[in-house]
Order: sequence, then structure tokens, then C-alpha cells
Amino acid sequence: MSNTVVNNMAAETIPTTKKRKYFSHEGRWGLILVSPYLIHLIVFVVGPLIASLYFSLSKYDMLNPPKWVGLENYQKLFHEPLFYKSLWNTIYFAILFVPAQTFLALLLAVALNQKLKALKLFRMAHFIPVISSWTVIMYVADAIFNPRFGLANTFLLKLGLDPQRWFNDEHLVIPLLVLVAVWKGIGYIMIIYLAGLQSVPNELYEAAEMDGAGTIRKFTSITLPLISPTTFLVIVLSSITTFQAFEQIYVMTGGAADISAAGGPNNSSLVLMLYLYREGFSFMHMGYASAIAWILFIILFTLTIIQLKIQKKWVHYD
Amino acid sequence: MKVKSWISIITVFVLILVLALTGCSNSDSQKTGGSTKKDTPKSNDEKEVTINLGFYSGGKSDEKMQALIKKFMTAHPNIKVTSQSAPYGQFYQKLDTQIAAQEAPDVWLSDGVLVMKYAERGAVKDLTEWINRDLNKDDYYGLDFNKDANGKYWAVPQGIQIGVLYYNKDLFDKAHVEYPNENWTWDDLQTAAAKLTLDAGGKNANESGFKSNNISQFGLTFFSITEGWFSVLKSYGGGVLDESMKKSIIHSDENKKAFEWMVDGMKRGILTDPADLKSFQSPMAVFPSGAAAMRIGIYARVLAANEAGLNYDVTVLPKGPDGNRFAPVISNSWVINSKVSDEKAKAAWEWIKFWATEDEVQKEWAELGEAVPVKKSVANSDVFLKAAGNPANKKAFLDSFEFAGALDTNAVWEEWVAKFNEHAQRAFLGESSIEDSLKGADKDIQKILDEFYKK
Repeated sequence: MSNTVVNNMAAETIPTTKKRKYFSHEGRWGLILVSPYLIHLIVFVVGPLIASLYFSLSKYDMLNPPKWVGLENYQKLFHEPLFYKSLWNTIYFAILFVPAQTFLALLLAVALNQKLKALKLFRMAHFIPVISSWTVIMYVADAIFNPRFGLANTFLLKLGLDPQRWFNDEHLVIPLLVLVAVWKGIGYIMIIYLAGLQSVPNELYEAAEMDGAGTIRKFTSITLPLISPTTFLVIVLSSITTFQAFEQIYVMTGGAADISAAGGPNNSSLVLMLYLYREGFSFMHMGYASAIAWILFIILFTLTIIQLKIQKKWVHYD
Repeated sequence: MKVKSWISIITVFVLILVLALTGCSNSDSQKTGGSTKKDTPKSNDEKEVTINLGFYSGGKSDEKMQALIKKFMTAHPNIKVTSQSAPYGQFYQKLDTQIAAQEAPDVWLSDGVLVMKYAERGAVKDLTEWINRDLNKDDYYGLDFNKDANGKYWAVPQGIQIGVLYYNKDLFDKAHVEYPNENWTWDDLQTAAAKLTLDAGGKNANESGFKSNNISQFGLTFFSITEGWFSVLKSYGGGVLDESMKKSIIHSDENKKAFEWMVDGMKRGILTDPADLKSFQSPMAVFPSGAAAMRIGIYARVLAANEAGLNYDVTVLPKGPDGNRFAPVISNSWVINSKVSDEKAKAAWEWIKFWATEDEVQKEWAELGEAVPVKKSVANSDVFLKAAGNPANKKAFLDSFEFAGALDTNAVWEEWVAKFNEHAQRAFLGESSIEDSLKGADKDIQKILDEFYKK
């Protein structure tokens, strides 16, 4: 039975690669069967993509039809200090967040890959923040960093130091947001790393031990290279999430109560997505917001291409 | 052959796309077209019209609104009202996209500060003619706050929010400070507030060793535009926009003096600064939680204060140095969608008239305690003035209409307020001088205005 199928397929693949008969019986069925996906793709992905490109080249306040203005939105964007500020804030967030989360998640995964008692409990404990909503996380962070009632200031005052403003301090806000983001996200990355670590064959470690390799040597020469594809995946995923960071900063800087407060204090945590949202949905500059979205897309695209190019130097696939 | 098959593939794609798109637009035309069809055939003597009513609400107000809609339909058997409601934030987010898709409600409740945003972008109907014809303007509060610089009316108030000074009697008694009265100036307020500001060690702002960076009780809580800087600027003779609402008048000596008063208060810890507010769950929570002796507050704030069981009262806001006074007003209003048919617009107008003119409706809505009634006769009756519960001096809200004004609302209100807050915040936190902040705000806000108005 299976043989005949294989034979049939082999027999048919030859002519179809020569003459692409899309409207043969099978071709038609193929298209019909993938059409739900195609329709979804066209209506919900390609359509909005083209629409947003068009909006980015027009003046559009949502309440009236868009008016074509050419590259005006992009010109305005490149002359707007707030755009550069939000771009820098986004990059700064990424510079702190991506290495910190990757490194700490790896450490945690290695630690929780040992034979420990109550291992599942530990893994679960680290995963709880991942499934909690940002609002819940905000309250937890507030219990620590609230300038009036928080643990952090109580502690500083006990030591005789000056209390800090934490999330309301221009210089502390991004590092603190990163700290909280790492705490929330680390469980998820840890799971990815655990899967990577478990795919490393034990024989390699045994062989290395026979050759007299120590723990550190085994980690740097076996574990790290073999999980490099996982590390690559983690880095790509977390840089994309940082560039798309919105909910956390919106919630934690009080955007729900007052949109002009979001990204504060003094726009020092205004990231690109937040800037885009504010311009588009609060100030009705949908054309300008679409231009921001396209710039964001170009940045992410370039970044991913660079990461793909660099990976050849350090990522080892089997 | 190859080219041909590519063409056919593209044809299929296009067909699918067209199918999908016509699918969308079909449902569109069915909705709008269908409902007009529905309006016509059922008529016996009069045509039946269906209007869709949009409003933002919480639990209690939602029930009340539904009850009032039922009453309206009994009184107007030829008008059928369907409704849609959502909490404040979601309501407006949805509304903007609905307008974009031409699916917006026929008549909706607009936040007072957003009326001009919709009016100047052509999304709502000019109501001047109907208002002149059907409403006696002297009978209502707040109609003029939705009038634009050209004298056109765009909306009819649904309920009024007006700012007064709230004070916590218990905290005043404890500090042996006299209650605020209608003769207070902003300086009197600050003198009293200093005695009412306590640090974590219990020292007040006048005592030596008082720590202004660790405060447990503020003299006055101060939040953003409506319940913060706007009335101070105005009573000092300053302001943000001129009468045309297209020109910034921010960089003035009057505003500078007003800012000096505010920044001085914040530096001394007497007034909450923007960072202080962040340590509360919401900037609105400071007064109800008993962490501030006074607040500038609109009428709706009585709800939270009463819920917290506070022993408090209200009085009119203080005077500026030259005796000017200013009470900020937000008149949340009914607006009619500019895209609806005449028939529907007329039916929507019936609803608005029903709301504004019927005493019964006004009384029932006043019972919720969310807003000052729009109809003067109801607001001045015992239903409002003698309603149970604090504050005792509800007359202060009505007295404040004498020196009340809107918040310089125009099409780009949200945008310029955000920009103003940004610059004001820097001055409030001591990160830039008052002069620089005002100059910066003036420049940036003028840019926003020019961009919108000089098309």
C-alpha cells in the first residue's frame, strides 16, 4: 500500500516539476485546501500591510479619508526629537534586556537541569511570572519600589540613605523596567533553554570527563556550542519582543490613567511602540503613526538580517 | 505555458481577495442599508426609526441609562433605540475606529473635552439651528461650553462637571486650622496647607527639621489640568490659548507667577508633585485615602469621597492676586453623528430634547450623583441641593458657574495638554526653570496648533 503511494508520488513529481500544472485536479484541490489560510493572509496581513504603507504616505486622522502627502510623514519623523528619544529608549532597553535575560535564563536553566529535589516546584515557581498579567506584576513591583510605601525605600531609610523615586526617576526607570521584564520573562526563556540542554547527548560529557575536563570546561566547550542554536533563537525572539515592548511600559508608567503620563517621567521610558500608539490613537495622527510602524519594521528586519549573518560565526548546527 | 499558469494563479488570488473584500463590504451595506429599510416599511401612520445610542458607563449608570431609554421609547413609540456602551477608555478607542469604518452610533455621549475633536473634524452634526429653535438657553447649564469660536453649537450637555475646592474637615480640625471659605486667595490656601502638611515624623511644613522628601500628609493634592494647573493659571490672569483657540498665550508674566506659586508649593512638599502622585494607586486616590487635606475636584469626586466615608465639605476655588476666580468645567454632552440620515438625526434630537427638557429624566440622573444636572431648575431644587450625604455645601458647585469656563478645548486638546504636561512636569520636578518650561510649552503647543489649523 505505502509502496504504491510512494510510486505514484514519484511518478507524478517528475512531470509537475517540469510543467507546473496548477490547475490540474490536484493543484486545484491544493489551492482550495490552503485557501482559508490564503484568505486570512490576504485579508488580515497583506491587506493591512498595504493599507498601512498607504496611510504612512498620507495625512489620516481616522475620522476623515486619508489625503496623500507623499513622504511628509517620514520627513517630519526624521526631524522630530521625540522620535530619536523613543528610538534611543528602545535600543537602551534592548541593550540591557537581551543580554541580561539570555544570560540569567541560561544560568537558571543549567541550575534547574541538575538532579534536585522538588525540581518541578522550582521550575514552576520561575514560570509563574510568565503567566501573570502585567497589571499583577505592576502591583508586585509597586510593593517594592513605591516611593512612599515600598520595601526598597524603607530599606534605604533604615540604612540612613536618601529615599529614591525609582520608577519616577528619569535615570532609573528603564533599568528598573528591564529588571521587572527579566523577572517576568526569564521563566519562558528558561524552558526553551531546558529543552536545548536536554538535547545535548550525555556521551559527550562522559567522553570529556575521561579526558579530564572540569565543570567549566565542559560547559564552555560542550554545552555552550551545542545549545548555540537555542541561544540564537532566544536572542532573536527577545530582541523582537523588546522592540515591540508596549504593554509593560504602558501599564507600569500609568498610561491607563493618563496617556500623557505613559512613557514617563519626562518621556524617559517612551519606547517606539508607545510613541506610535500615542500618536495614532490619542492624537489621531494615524498617517504619522504608520510611518513610525514602517521604520520600526525596517529596523527589526535589518536587525534580524544582521543576526542571521553573524550567526554563521558562532551558531553550530548538527 | 509558464506565463499562462502564473496568470491563472494570480487570477485565483485576485478572485479570493475580491470575494473576501466584497464579503466585508456586503456586511457593511447590509447593516447601514438594511437598517434604513427597517425604518420604512413598518410604518402605519408614522415611520418607525431606529437609532443607535452610544455611551460610556459603569454598572449603576448603565442600568439607569437603560431605564431612561425604555421611558423614552414609551413616550416616542415611533423611535426604537438600540444602545452600546463600554467603560470610558474602551468606548473612545472603539468609537474612533467605528467612525473610521462608518459604523459609529447615531448619537453618542461625548466627554466634554472631546466634543471639539469630533466637531472640527466633521464627525458630528452642527446643532445650532435646532438648539436655537427648541431650547431656551437660559434654562440650562453648560450649553455655551460647547460653543466654538464662531458661535456654533455642537452638543447638548448630558451632565456637568465643575471644579471646586474639597477639604477634609477631620484633618483641618486636628491641625486647628480654620476651614477654607469663599474669600480665600491661592496664597491663603498655601498658608493653611503648610500647617496641614505633615512629614513621616509628624512635623508640619512650618516646623524646623521638616522633611519635604518624606511626606505622609499633603496640604493640597494637585493633578494635571482640570484638577490642577488650569484654574491656577486662569485666576492669576494667565491661560493657555486665546479666544480663537488657535494661538498659544502661554509665555506670559501671569502664567509665570502662577507657576511660581505651584512650584514653590511642590518644593516645600505642600502640594503633590507628579512624582508624589505616582506613589498612589491612582492620582485620584490621594484625597479619598486621607493623604491630603484639600483637593481641587470636579463634582464626580464626591462619589469616591463618600465611599471612603470622609468627613469633608466643599467651597468655591480660591481667588488669584487680582481677585479673579476660575472654575474649570467639563460638560459631557450628547452629539449627533454627522453621517446619519435626516430621519435618524431628527430622532436622535428627540432623545437629546427628552434628556435635557424632561424634569423626570434630569431628576433620575441626578440621583446617581455623578454629575450636576444640566437643567437649572432641577439643579437648584432640593433634588440636587438637599440630596443625602456629603458635601453639605452643594451650592458651591452652582455658585461656581458664575466664574466658570471650559478647558480651552479644541480639536487638538489631548495633544496640547500632553505637551503642556510634559513641560510643566519638568518645572514641577525642578528639572528646568519656569521660564524655560513656559517658553518650551509655548513653542511646542503653537506648533501643534499650526499643524492642525494651517492646512
